[in-house]
Amino acid sequence: MTEDSAPHSKSYNIDFQPVGRRIRIKESEDLLTAARNAGIQLISVCGGVGSCENCRIRHVSGTLSPPTKEEEKVFDIEELLEGYRLACQARPLSDVKIEIPLSSLTASQRLQIEGHEISIEPEPVVVPVEVELTPPTFDDLRADVTRIKQVLETLGVPSPMIGFSVLENLSDQLRAQGWNSRLALRGNEVVAVLHPEELLLGLAVDIGTTKLAAYLIDLSSGNTLAKTGDMNPQISYGEDVVSRIAYTNTNKDGRQVLQEKVVSRLNSMLDKLIYEAQVSREQIVDAVVVGNTAMHHLFVGLPVRQLGEAPYVPEVSDSLDVPPQSVGLALSDGAYVHLPPIIAGYVGADHVAMLLATEVVEQDKSVIALDIGTNTEISLITGSRVICCSCASGPAFEGAHIRDGMRAAPGAIERVQIQGQEVRVYTVMGQPAVGICGSGILDAISQMLNEGLIDHRGGLQEDHPLIQRKNDELIFLVVPASESGNDRDVIVTRKDVNEIQLAKGAIRAGIEVLLGEAKLNYEEVEEVIVAGAFGTYLDIRSAIRIGMFPDFPHAKYQQVGNAAGMGAKQMLISSERRRAAEEIARKVEYLELTTYPNFTDVFMKAMIF
Amino acid sequence: MADDILAQITEKLLIGETERVVALTEEALSAGLEPLVIINQGLLPGMEEAGEKFSRGEFFLPHLLIAAKGMQEAMALLEPELSLRQETPEVVGTVVIGTVHGDIHEIGKSLVGTLLSVNGFQVHDLGVDVPLERFVEKVQETGADILGLSALLTTTMIGQREVIEALDEAGIRDQVKVLVGGSPVSRKWANSIGADGYAEDALGAVEVARQVLGLGV
Repeated sequence: MTEDSAPHSKSYNIDFQPVGRRIRIKESEDLLTAARNAGIQLISVCGGVGSCENCRIRHVSGTLSPPTKEEEKVFDIEELLEGYRLACQARPLSDVKIEIPLSSLTASQRLQIEGHEISIEPEPVVVPVEVELTPPTFDDLRADVTRIKQVLETLGVPSPMIGFSVLENLSDQLRAQGWNSRLALRGNEVVAVLHPEELLLGLAVDIGTTKLAAYLIDLSSGNTLAKTGDMNPQISYGEDVVSRIAYTNTNKDGRQVLQEKVVSRLNSMLDKLIYEAQVSREQIVDAVVVGNTAMHHLFVGLPVRQLGEAPYVPEVSDSLDVPPQSVGLALSDGAYVHLPPIIAGYVGADHVAMLLATEVVEQDKSVIALDIGTNTEISLITGSRVICCSCASGPAFEGAHIRDGMRAAPGAIERVQIQGQEVRVYTVMGQPAVGICGSGILDAISQMLNEGLIDHRGGLQEDHPLIQRKNDELIFLVVPASESGNDRDVIVTRKDVNEIQLAKGAIRAGIEVLLGEAKLNYEEVEEVIVAGAFGTYLDIRSAIRIGMFPDFPHAKYQQVGNAAGMGAKQMLISSERRRAAEEIARKVEYLELTTYPNFTDVFMKAMIF
Repeated sequence: MADDILAQITEKLLIGETERVVALTEEALSAGLEPLVIINQGLLPGMEEAGEKFSRGEFFLPHLLIAAKGMQEAMALLEPELSLRQETPEVVGTVVIGTVHGDIHEIGKSLVGTLLSVNGFQVHDLGVDVPLERFVEKVQETGADILGLSALLTTTMIGQREVIEALDEAGIRDQVKVLVGGSPVSRKWANSIGADGYAEDALGAVEVARQVLGLGV
């Protein structure tokens, strides 16, 4: 319909958050269409008829058409009151503001949404000091360094000092800058001598077992100037941390090899950031690096053998400040690399950073905060206590050990809907299916449970019409070869179901043990914070359906993306946040699951659906 | 009536109602049933069926473990009765089992131990993080036919080789069959360290244990 043919048709502004896109649509159009026209890919398996429940949105302000019958089926009263709607059913009756939960976005779009930024007053550890020095003459033969120290003293810096590595170029720099410089001062130590107009920058790094993330930050504003991600090249020496530790145990130079691998990849990421932001290396005067304990130790070059053997203790758990030369990171010569404290052998500085970024420890609420990965770290915050544990959830959610598993790349099935005998899938980028990613397998199993394809023990039900026998094995055919992108069937096997049972059982058991330890019941949990890449993709309802999370009656779920990276950024721009991280690490009580009484029983029960 | 109780024990064991299994075992004893009859006609058929279901993919780890737990709790009731009567179930072999030093993973090792014991082996479970010399001492002390070594980490499986070397040094390597297992362990690894047997899962372990003792499967 054009404006001419329908002169009375009204149109309204739709404001989509947190993606930050606006579009004007006619009142006859639904919000799913609006989102598509705005370039936002919402997941819709059913094609917009209100049956798949995937295009959930939350109505923030303005007026929408009343909920349809389909929506009343999907949402309970509480959800309707909170403003939950299906985008395919709702039409605007005024200008409206809409919030899109991460779980309604397709995987490729979710990557573009960073972790929740909490605005922090910049108060960096390294600060700029402008100095105007008098050039030396035959009447004033003071050394260059003396000149700087005396100026700093007059500015109130007690016993100023200049890092040895800064001396290498100091005299040349002062003369090139015409004795007019911006010093980067860390406490009483000069860590860089810059041009007066140069910004002081910092590098925040999250070293994951699989992925690396790096952010270049303007220390004075806290703004991210550039960011980049890459794979951790240590993967070729072992997929998980334990096999990498084993590699260093059996190879004499193993530790050095792994250290050099990760640092050289970080340096090329850094080159890219420097190029993108058009800055100089000398400007990068501070860095914060977080990672799990093994990644932390391997990055610094510390021994890891003891991490691989009971009782799995770190060599050092205190925060460290190391010169970049000692690890080989190409920052400004006088800078320091800050490594926040560690909690335990399998709960590292990345978890501290996550707790910091989500500000859960500072709140007076009962919260469960977890970062799902090959190793899942879980913290329970309640009253004055923070208890945490680590569970071996395995790589199934990253698509590994699953027959047709893959990462969330184009063609990966990320959502599955089973209705009667019909199976519908939604793939990354809408490409023909070639495999199934972590969120897809989670969704598939939750749907299989709902529709009776598997029983509560995870057994495939031979008499169900969607279960078939292939090579003497019961399977669920998700997409037949004739419709797939690689002429192969995409299937779910009993073994796949079992892998997910082990993974979700480990996470659920961790949660149950923490609740038991804190004597907290389900009703008392107010919030669940899910971090990490997979945590961002997964559908919370599916996770509850398969029993990975208990069905807490009053909890709000939040998916926060790479919270560890956010925490690293915060520690970079604020010395107060850096101190808060120390406080968090001191406060957290670590609980070892494997030796916890009855753990086996709890784990066994948690594996059942 | 007796058959009925026995059939119920089998059924409750299979569906994992441990408390019912224990209660029914007590009931059977007070009804005058012989402990060996309860074991052989009530408990063991349940375990066997659980094992078969596991092999067919109908059961998964938790079911096997819960069934094994039911069997163990019932046995705790039956063992004093057996010794009163100076009876013992037939022992097909003696096994020392444990998780190697540096490793505290228990579930897999305990499941193997339980399945071996319900299959007629006398099992001495040394627990987790077991020092080398403890394995050697226990094998010497019990004259065990089989030593089972578990390792769940790539970093600790080396301990399996160290135990085999320690048996060698103590001069008792040829007196005991060594079986190894655990998720990072493979047949190739087992061969390379000179173990006598390897199995992928707990049921396989029972088969291998019978094989190495020439018992037939």
